Amino acid sequence: MKSQIALIAALSLPLLGGQNDTFLIRNATVHPVSSPQMDNASVLVVDGKIADVGSKIAVKGKIRIIEGKGLHVYPGIIDSGSPIGLSEIGSVRESVDTGELGDFNPQLRSIIAVNPASEHIPVVRANGITSVMVTPGGAGGGRGGSGGSLISGQVSLMHLDGWTWEEMEIRRGAAMQITWPAIASGGRFGDGDAPPAFAARRTTFAEAKRTQEQQVQKIREFFEEAKRYQLAKSSGAAGFKPDLKFEAMLPVLSGKMPLMVVAAREREIREAVQWAEREQVKIVLAGVRRAGKMTEELAKKNIPVILGSTFTTPLEEDDPYDEPFTLPGELAKAGVKIAFASFGTQFARNLPYEASQAVPFGLSYDEALKSVTLNAAQIWGVADQIGSIEKGKIADLIVTDGDPLEIRTQVKMMFIKGEPVDLESKHTRLYKKYLARP
Amino acid sequence: MRHIIPVLAVWACSGLVPLQTPLRAEVPPLLAIQDARIVTVSGGVIEKGTVVIRNGIIVDVGAGASVPKGAWIVDGKGLTVYPGLIDALSTWGIPEAAAAVPTAAGGRGGGAPAAPQAGQAQTPQTRSWGPADRPGTSSWVKAADQVKTTDRRLEQARGAGFTSAVTFPKSGLIGGHGAVINLGGESNGQMIVDPSAGLFMNTTPGGYTGYPSSLMGIYAYFRQLWIDAEHYRLAKEMYAKDPVNIPRPEYDRALEGVLESRRVLLPASNPITMERMVKLAGDMKSPVVLWGVVEGYRMADRLKQSGTPVILNVKWPTRERDADPERVESLRTLEVRDKAPTSPAVLAAAGVKFAVSSDGIDTPRDVIRALKKSIDLGLKKEDALRALTLSAAEIYGVAAKLGSIDRGKIANLVVTNGDLFDDRTKVQMVFIDGVKYLPPPETPQGPGGGAAARPTESIEEEQ
Amino acid sequence: MRILTLTLMTASWLCAQNTIVIQNGTIHTVTKGTFQGSIVIRDGKIAEVAEKVMTPPGARIVDATGKHVMPGIIDAHTHIALDSINEGSVSVSSMVNVAEMLNPEQINIYRALAGGVTTANSLHGSANSIGGQNVLFKTRWGQNAEGLIFKGAKPSLKIALGENVKRSGNPQGGGFQQGAQQNLRYPGTRMGVEDVIRDAFTRASEYQKEWKEYDAKKARGENALPPKRDLQLDPLVEILEGRRLIHAHCYRSDEILMLMRIFDEFNIKGVTYQHVLEGYKVAKEIAARGDGASTFSDWWSYKVEAWDAIPYNAAIMHKKGVLVSLNSDDAGGAELMRRLNTEAAKVMKYGGLTEDEALAMITINPAKQMQIDKWVGSIEAGKDADIVIYDKNPLSMYAKVEKVFIDGKEYFDRDNDITERPRKEAEKKGLTEKEREIEKKSAPQTRRPS
Repeated sequence: MKSQIALIAALSLPLLGGQNDTFLIRNATVHPVSSPQMDNASVLVVDGKIADVGSKIAVKGKIRIIEGKGLHVYPGIIDSGSPIGLSEIGSVRESVDTGELGDFNPQLRSIIAVNPASEHIPVVRANGITSVMVTPGGAGGGRGGSGGSLISGQVSLMHLDGWTWEEMEIRRGAAMQITWPAIASGGRFGDGDAPPAFAARRTTFAEAKRTQEQQVQKIREFFEEAKRYQLAKSSGAAGFKPDLKFEAMLPVLSGKMPLMVVAAREREIREAVQWAEREQVKIVLAGVRRAGKMTEELAKKNIPVILGSTFTTPLEEDDPYDEPFTLPGELAKAGVKIAFASFGTQFARNLPYEASQAVPFGLSYDEALKSVTLNAAQIWGVADQIGSIEKGKIADLIVTDGDPLEIRTQVKMMFIKGEPVDLESKHTRLYKKYLARP
Repeated sequence: MRHIIPVLAVWACSGLVPLQTPLRAEVPPLLAIQDARIVTVSGGVIEKGTVVIRNGIIVDVGAGASVPKGAWIVDGKGLTVYPGLIDALSTWGIPEAAAAVPTAAGGRGGGAPAAPQAGQAQTPQTRSWGPADRPGTSSWVKAADQVKTTDRRLEQARGAGFTSAVTFPKSGLIGGHGAVINLGGESNGQMIVDPSAGLFMNTTPGGYTGYPSSLMGIYAYFRQLWIDAEHYRLAKEMYAKDPVNIPRPEYDRALEGVLESRRVLLPASNPITMERMVKLAGDMKSPVVLWGVVEGYRMADRLKQSGTPVILNVKWPTRERDADPERVESLRTLEVRDKAPTSPAVLAAAGVKFAVSSDGIDTPRDVIRALKKSIDLGLKKEDALRALTLSAAEIYGVAAKLGSIDRGKIANLVVTNGDLFDDRTKVQMVFIDGVKYLPPPETPQGPGGGAAARPTESIEEEQ
Repeated sequence: MRILTLTLMTASWLCAQNTIVIQNGTIHTVTKGTFQGSIVIRDGKIAEVAEKVMTPPGARIVDATGKHVMPGIIDAHTHIALDSINEGSVSVSSMVNVAEMLNPEQINIYRALAGGVTTANSLHGSANSIGGQNVLFKTRWGQNAEGLIFKGAKPSLKIALGENVKRSGNPQGGGFQQGAQQNLRYPGTRMGVEDVIRDAFTRASEYQKEWKEYDAKKARGENALPPKRDLQLDPLVEILEGRRLIHAHCYRSDEILMLMRIFDEFNIKGVTYQHVLEGYKVAKEIAARGDGASTFSDWWSYKVEAWDAIPYNAAIMHKKGVLVSLNSDDAGGAELMRRLNTEAAKVMKYGGLTEDEALAMITINPAKQMQIDKWVGSIEAGKDADIVIYDKNPLSMYAKVEKVFIDGKEYFDRDNDITERPRKEAEKKGLTEKEREIEKKSAPQTRRPS
């Protein structure tokens, strides 16, 4: 109750000042993530940027002060993959804009279809998430999958605040989403728990492998074509005509844009890594569930991994019961850079807890916190802008009454680009309305 | 008039048979197999003895059994005589069943209903809205009305030493009444040993859509059907006594069929389904025989305790040939495959009555080979043989007629040149109702005719 | 005399054998506060809970210093461990019983156990208006189906409303079998759902009457044919007679209200609304009937009827006097069941409930809803010793289950689980190698006659 009063008081403060994106948070416990926590410290934000962090900050002139006593300041949390803004009600096709038709859609840019007024955005923000990699792939391929497509489009990194998607944008083409084809034999990979009704529809391994090889071949050919296009364009070949698909591939071929490769299991990971090496493209693996013997290679080759939810069950019947919980720790210990993604909308607000779920099972707390902040920023090439509380970075900040990876913790304030953000949502509005029902 | 024409053709090129004139269509009214090794099953082995058959019935057996005057003689030196083998859950004799036989009890898992087999769902299916629609039910159908001497599988079965089968109509949830049949005879009717072997039931939906669409729905349907039958019986009985006050019940062939049933055959592949089926049969107040029983090796105690006999499916589970090499199989699955062939030994040791079935096996000889595998894993030969003969007869209540070499039993015999479970052993002849049949030639395409040296390999490779 | 002494000694030895003392932990009793103390378990029951207890000699001591002890978690709504979940071919499938589908070897049972769940209510699915009978069981991993069943508990039946019911009988819904095109299953609207349920209870009342009339005739000595037992209507009669509980899947406030009015009409009690995502809109009405509500912590937006779902649902209903529990609804695998403890923490976040109120929603409240609270749901003397030991506060993301006791028997121990892993792996490897060896031997030796 007491903390709620403090919240109201604190929230009303920014409104008093003239310039919203300039203020000082003081006497708080600051968790820069890039460096150890600082007690009784201050964060100075000027024009939406972090101007200074420390225990003693000199402020010239009049500035809005936010009293941070008893509160904690963290960098805003980053979700490394979610269709937020593209998908409103999962079961209503009309409200879903993920999963475009066709095998190869590198020209698609997810952010341009993001609905800035999506009800999901404020809901997710309320738990401290300030930016998201918006994935264009459909949900059909499971967590992190891209539906039917092989290349489903460009993943855009965006802030969870703005009147238009342009205002939300951090990087339009932050990555290219591609799904590495898996050999899908059997009803379910694993212990054959599927009822015989499924078993009747089983495809044999040979059939599945053939299909998979054809898909891989398609990817190879597409890249070959893209390279021919690149060459034709750079050499100014006669009769060259622009093609949006191949145009979109140029930053991938030149290594400027990483590929977010959805690959769940060791075999797909192995094939994708080998392929990427041959093609000399930069990759980030996503939706990884079992890296197996590839783990060390990923570490050695500095290939980062975006983990799907830890809130899942073990892959095989005989796997240890805690297998999904230990995976992040195992990867991190091996030296693989990890980040987390919700790969969905309805549970996207639980992203921080997906990371902390791995903590009692071997992931260090610091790494867990990084995996939803600084690691993500580094992986997506924006560590100079977001992911930690450092001088010069964008002021994406959350002020909490505790550890943001703990469920009970309340996010008291949020700043995106230094602007205070409303933490109310459809949910809080309905809460108030019906709590007050006579 | 017993026609044994197929046999006659073989006689022509076989020097073994002592019968004089192949053209003679009649069966000797009196026959003795002399000086053979006789495995009676019921009373041990007679190393050198005689079996006397009169009018298709065994009239004497023993070391000292005398050959009656006028008897035809088979010189049994070097031969072994066994009771004819019985396939305890079969479709042999029903030619229509030869095409597609579902094998629902194979594999592991809880026995959830399988999708209708290909080829099974060709007839237009009716939508069932509840138990009153009697979905997938043909409890009035009798195998005894369907068996035909013309089923081409009979010859092959006899060639492997089988002389009888308990054959069932198997389609749908309740296929119909099985019959104990002999695998040869002049007329269809002559094949029948017992027309009422029990009701075959399965938990794989087929022949309808709608209710029941789940395993639990099927259980509930079975229960309701038996409740309905019991009520029907009561209504008929009360009406007979008091037609003034009790309304005349409407004739219902499905319920008539249920009431005629002496026992039910229910599928149970593992201990979980076994418990369910034992309970179900209890609710139905019917004696039960469980079939399938892949994981029999871990069901023995409970089967013994509940006194439930079983028909083992001996098509032992094997690794999927075209499986993903990186697929991880569960310990459970590996264990089932490893231990399934030990089931007969475990059941025998526990004193559970079991017989075996050709279900899912195309080559009858493979039933014996499958049991040989179990023998290698500790099953006693006597127990294996008993499963193939007397136990099957006992389970179906026909032990007075079949299953062993004893006076008064039907003269169904297998004569071999060695141990039945030795793969090199050849069946020399079988007798059914005292009529002699010769095995079909095993390698019809063998160029020199002497290719029988490796019959097993060649058969396996042809599959 | 000597014999007597021996007997006594044996008796006390036996007694001590059956005694476990969980010592010196933070005990979350849920109903009687949280304190530093110990629990004495004897013969499967909680014998004593206090700051200081009497420890009999020979008792097994479980040191819980620094650890947190809470009652076993009760999941009021799951679908695990069932070989089939829906009999959706008809709109009233009360004749089916998922208890018959209980598969004690399904690994989800163990996984749920490892997440602290000791009692689970596995329900029939939501494909049809009146579903099947449900099964309440304890996660006694290793026992057979019979051994899992929660003995003495009142049976229950599933009812379902809304989108799933409408969709399942309709070809666009998918998942339905061949022939569905020509055979749409009524109902296709919420109006029809109401009709189906009212009709079923009307038929059940008639059936009940038939039996009463028969009994009366028999009592008068008349010769009468008994009515035919109807497995579909029997469970509905049990509901009318208060001998069976209802778990009703519902979402929207209008349909919740609709169902309540049917229950009023037939004077039906013992109802728990399941999911009940708009329960917060009609919390007053639910509370007035004294029914329970079992909901999700924070699910929403996955379908239209979940569009107004809010994570404050549990808190609002609780504040307005409804008995509220949180459930997993796990079907494919025991996922949410493994972390109902932190799901409970969400009612602290969304709505500001206390630790005890949060824990109650996964222990004593579901126990009350299923009328099994005299046996389970809290750490109190006399109750079943269903106890979970966590290394940290169970409401924290950083806590993990270390041990689980059911009826005083240890069914899960994290250290054992970890030490067992290599043995299992080796066993598997051995079996695989053996199989390959046999395959190699029995492969055709290419002795094909040529």
